Amino acid sequence: MQAYAAKLIDLIELKAENIAKQWATDVMKHNRTPSYSSLPQDRVIERGVEFYRLFRQMSLADNSYEAAKTFSWRYAQECYREKIPLHEAVYALILLRRNLWLYAEFQGVFVTALEKQQAVESLNRTILMYDYVSYQVIEKYQELINGDVDKKLGSIKTMMMSKPISGIRSIYKSGLMGILLLGACILTYYYHATIGTGVIFTHLFYIPIILASIWWGKKGIFVAIFLGALILTSHALFLKTVPLVDDIIRALMFVVIGGVVGWLMDGIKKIEDLYKATIKI
Amino acid sequence: MLASLKLLDLMADKSESMAKQWAKEVVKNPKTPYYHNCDQDKIIPQAAEFYQKLSRVYTDKDPFTAIQGFMGKFAEARFKEKVPLHEALYSIILMRRHIWLYAEFQAIFISIIEQHQALDSQLRTILMFDYITYAFTERYWELMNLEYAKKNKK
Repeated sequence: MQAYAAKLIDLIELKAENIAKQWATDVMKHNRTPSYSSLPQDRVIERGVEFYRLFRQMSLADNSYEAAKTFSWRYAQECYREKIPLHEAVYALILLRRNLWLYAEFQGVFVTALEKQQAVESLNRTILMYDYVSYQVIEKYQELINGDVDKKLGSIKTMMMSKPISGIRSIYKSGLMGILLLGACILTYYYHATIGTGVIFTHLFYIPIILASIWWGKKGIFVAIFLGALILTSHALFLKTVPLVDDIIRALMFVVIGGVVGWLMDGIKKIEDLYKATIKI
Repeated sequence: MLASLKLLDLMADKSESMAKQWAKEVVKNPKTPYYHNCDQDKIIPQAAEFYQKLSRVYTDKDPFTAIQGFMGKFAEARFKEKVPLHEALYSIILMRRHIWLYAEFQAIFISIIEQHQALDSQLRTILMFDYITYAFTERYWELMNLEYAKKNKK
């Protein structure tokens, strides 16, 4: 391969900047790559130069596929950062390849009959490189979307305890909730029966209420209902002389807060599912 | 353009054989793992239809609009099947390779003149596949965004 492709590779390496300038003019005006028109020309040229300079390395490497990753991954990262739609990024790659060939033709690199035959082989090699690069760019681009979503949803996932803990995720949640509810019962009994007051301890109840809604969405409202019922029952049993109004308001607030948080979490879960489905594709 | 006609005839007449060769490779290729569990009989018609449609637009003066039409539908079908975009695109790359491999195997470019014509045919095929790649990625990307918007509305 080296012999017949050498001419093309030498030309590309030597004239990388010229070919890149030609490509930049093309890609920034082309109707299939409108996102490039707003980018600074110097940056676009720089990207082209990088591709053409790496061409020798990619073409002559023992493992061309691995060598192509140097360019492909950076190209995908830059396109993603610049919010260039994937199909435009792919078409810009097509133009990179086309301009390389146009330049070679314009310079009359393949003139004789033998050189024309060599041209077919050179073209095959160029196409192979392009196939690798386009595959890697698309794969990387999707990986970046995936990573971005994971990053954005990271804190929510931590709260939702999405990462399984040795496969006992739901048991772990239920166990922790059981302990918190038991604590709430003890606290209620202590304050209502022993001390005989309904002071601010009920604010602590928002911890299990909010956690339940985060973990189980709308179904988490049952924890709020349970705690509401707990303070009302306890009040009726142990604080007969104290008016019930305050605890009724507290119980209602438990249900409202639990319901709102659960409803919001169901929405977030839907968005997360949607992103996962999109990324999977 | 005339040189391309030989390849065009081959694509139209031997679409099924080409598709079979393609199917054998796509179910094994490490870059297309989605297809590894696919039944070859189910995927052969996809490729055969693709070759047929491509042969119909191969000599058009402006084939882009027609390609956009049939590749739009091709993208919709692959999206529905949940084929990952990069794998679907690589399967198309393999389709292109198999046109050429089949032509080489059938020795349609033997003489010196025919070998010169081979370059023309190759350039035409590449142009077609540039359009195919763009049209396919564009439609697939659009579908991904539509799906997102639809689910987000819910």
